[in-house]
Amino acid sequence: MDFPIFHIDFIGNRMLIAVDAILHVIINHAFAVGALPVVALLELSGIRRKDARWDKLAYRLLKIIFIITTTLGALTGVGIWFSASLVNPAAIGSLIRVFFWGWFVEWIVFVSEVSLIMAYFLSWQTAGRSPEAKLMHLRLGIFLAVFSWITMAIIVAILGFMMDPGNWVTERTLMSGLFNPMYLPQLAFRTTLAMVMGGMTMICLIYLFTRHDLAFRTMVLRVISNWSGAWMLGLIVASIWYYQVIPNHMLANIPVAVTTQEYVSWNGRLKLLLIVGLFYVGRVLWLSVKRPGQVHGAKYLVSVLLLFAMLGQFERVREFIRKPFIIGNYMYANGIRVADYPLLQRDGILQHATYAGIREVTADNQISAGREVFEQTCTRCHTVNGVNSIRGQLKKMYGGKPWKSEVIAAYIENMHRARYFMPPFPGNKAELDALAIYLASLQKRAAAFNGAQINGIPMPDKISAATVYGTLPNLSITNGEHE
Amino acid sequence: MNAPIPRDIPLPLPAPEGLLEILLIVSFLVHIVFVHLMLGGSMFSLVCQIKGLKTPDYEKLAYRIMQTVTVNKSLAVVMGVAPLLIINTLYAPQFYASSALIGDMWMAVIPMVTLAFLLAYVHKFWWNHFINIPELHIGIAALETALFLFIPLIFMTNVNLMLFPEYWPQVKGFFSAMLLPNVLQRYLHFISAAVLFSSLFFVWWSGRKTFLQEVQFSKLRVIDVRRFFYAFAFGATIVQILTGLVVFVTLPAQGMSWRFTLLLMLGGSSALPAIWWMWQNLTSPGHLIDDNLKRIIACFACAAIIMGIARHDYRENALADHKTAIAEKTANYMAAVKEAGEHAQLDAKDQESKISAPGESAFNQNCAACHHATLPTVGPALQEIKEIYAGDSAGIVAWTKAPGKKRPDSMQMPGFVQLSDDELTAISQYILSH
Repeated sequence: MDFPIFHIDFIGNRMLIAVDAILHVIINHAFAVGALPVVALLELSGIRRKDARWDKLAYRLLKIIFIITTTLGALTGVGIWFSASLVNPAAIGSLIRVFFWGWFVEWIVFVSEVSLIMAYFLSWQTAGRSPEAKLMHLRLGIFLAVFSWITMAIIVAILGFMMDPGNWVTERTLMSGLFNPMYLPQLAFRTTLAMVMGGMTMICLIYLFTRHDLAFRTMVLRVISNWSGAWMLGLIVASIWYYQVIPNHMLANIPVAVTTQEYVSWNGRLKLLLIVGLFYVGRVLWLSVKRPGQVHGAKYLVSVLLLFAMLGQFERVREFIRKPFIIGNYMYANGIRVADYPLLQRDGILQHATYAGIREVTADNQISAGREVFEQTCTRCHTVNGVNSIRGQLKKMYGGKPWKSEVIAAYIENMHRARYFMPPFPGNKAELDALAIYLASLQKRAAAFNGAQINGIPMPDKISAATVYGTLPNLSITNGEHE
Repeated sequence: MNAPIPRDIPLPLPAPEGLLEILLIVSFLVHIVFVHLMLGGSMFSLVCQIKGLKTPDYEKLAYRIMQTVTVNKSLAVVMGVAPLLIINTLYAPQFYASSALIGDMWMAVIPMVTLAFLLAYVHKFWWNHFINIPELHIGIAALETALFLFIPLIFMTNVNLMLFPEYWPQVKGFFSAMLLPNVLQRYLHFISAAVLFSSLFFVWWSGRKTFLQEVQFSKLRVIDVRRFFYAFAFGATIVQILTGLVVFVTLPAQGMSWRFTLLLMLGGSSALPAIWWMWQNLTSPGHLIDDNLKRIIACFACAAIIMGIARHDYRENALADHKTAIAEKTANYMAAVKEAGEHAQLDAKDQESKISAPGESAFNQNCAACHHATLPTVGPALQEIKEIYAGDSAGIVAWTKAPGKKRPDSMQMPGFVQLSDDELTAISQYILSH
């Protein structure tokens, strides 16, 4: 990683992105993609039945959607950019170079989405004046629902690419990245899940808002339960599809047993959640379709929470199968490209890390050099003392026995063969030993570990300020002469 | 140049650099206009609310202003995504570095903006709930405005820091970056621009035909409102000129050029006629009927566009050497990567031909992660296994197919069902003969 290393040792860097991203995905699925069609459906029902209560209810729901999506929803979306560019700039920077136009289109759709939701929400009251204006207004709502789905469809392509770049590694074009083999199952799963989530979330709110008009509640819940129930059937099909396509595809890439064990337990949890969740939510919806007024609100709430949990676990599995890569077969989770490995393993990673404070491991500096190696190679995922702490991992392995640096070094050297989610160690032998000595020292003492946002970066030395590489000819200059 | 020279991301830019630069200038200007309207609107709403304690009509005005703020703030965010994306693309080595160096505060932008937006909604949607507790209502408005005022300072600090790699090593966190030369001047220049652009916006806004009907003043006249905003626009213009001059003379030399200076002068002078028209509007109220607003706005729009180009010019000048150095270093690094990769391939072939014992490569592939020759890493060392299974190759094979858990303080070994009997036998013989 050739950037100053930002690091939060308490919650960890991955957790920073995860909290932001999960919040964003939940808001996106439950309050935008899945909820906006419900609002339009209610508005339509109000027009057809000539009953102002439907329209009023739709407006109340939209107000909540509007407030949540234009504050926390929009900002957590931007927050993914912020956190990703702090935590793994090499990865997000590479993705941006490949997907720039994808993201640019996404931005245009996003601008339309925000403009549409403002127009839809702010013109609600004035649109009631004439039937023609009302129909136009409804059309606005349908457009909005479609645009918010398109925003998601584009982003899913980019997420799919991160898991499996398909032909991109050889072709390196935008289209080959976009239409990777994971795309359709994921999109189908997300779309149906979002629709059920949005439907259930809106049902909860409707339940709350109609507590003084039970006859109306029964009517509305029947319509929205039918709608959500239809998507529920889709979700069952999509889950099976996802479950068949993706694990087989990924498992083929995982030859070692331990990872399979680990993966199976992660995916097993998802499978369990999917089965329990689909069964429970399906049953609640079935009851709600048959006897809409008689299902207790708590059941709707439990359904929503189950769906949130399914989504959360799905994101965790998705993240897990990506490892050890952050961009499949191109860049490891530590931000180092696969192609960089031979050079870094030969010369040492510290020699090539512009912002490192130590270049060579000597007999005197082993612990501080080891700390530096840890910072460069481990901190994107591990902390010293916080979430997914390296101290905790070592304690799990060696417990109270004295931690021996030779044993740790022997393990790290081969660890990627057994722990397939771990990237291989990218440095040379001296750095490996220094890292192991640093790690062993953590059994007794662990000084606070701060990132560049607190410690800053060292004064540039020869390597940091140079543009040439060792004994190699300076290619950039010779190229310049030829031109 | 005593700046760290990192490597660039070794992938081509997604579009010609010039096109990206034009997109950056245009999208940034659009973004900043909405930021100005959001920030200025929030300030004006607060001011009018305080004035409303004495003159109730101003409270009505404050409410109407707030309705524009909640729209403009959403546009400010969504319009900010494009310049952020392009900055990420064009200036990856600089922008990611400066962001990391002020990382805590940079990340805090997200919760702070969220909070400011939620406060803006509380301020607007619950306006009538606060009729009897003006202290709380004004307090919420003040907190919202304070957040809106502080957030641009973080952005300003970051975009300033990214311009000067030679300052990076001396920066320790956000506040030291904020105190680098030029940040605070630029910030004041920015704030006065927010007042200027938003007051002109509100002059236009209060001049619309439907305005009086919307706001329903009891005493206040539209002409008073427009004069109120013109006064702020005029004052802000003067502050703009003064802070602009301070920014100019204190700008670090790295990015200076005659072209840049000329652009600044051109931008500044294109606003001069507007000052004259505004002065006339203020001194002789008769002018407010036909107030040359369109021309005034055109002048300032012109100035803003030229300043936007100048700003980009300065950035390119300041970073020109750094960018060249980065490109050289990246090219050399990629050559080194290629060379090392080719060597490694040859070495790997050598290594392969050296492996003689059957089972050795299968052992390395499947077992070496946990079983070291002499050290107990995850599982027991080979020496120990050899002692336990002396001469019993079949015992090792049987265990490997269906491992149990013998040692309470070690992890359980997974079963290697994917290996064939022949492979397992070869591995076990390799272990025993090791």
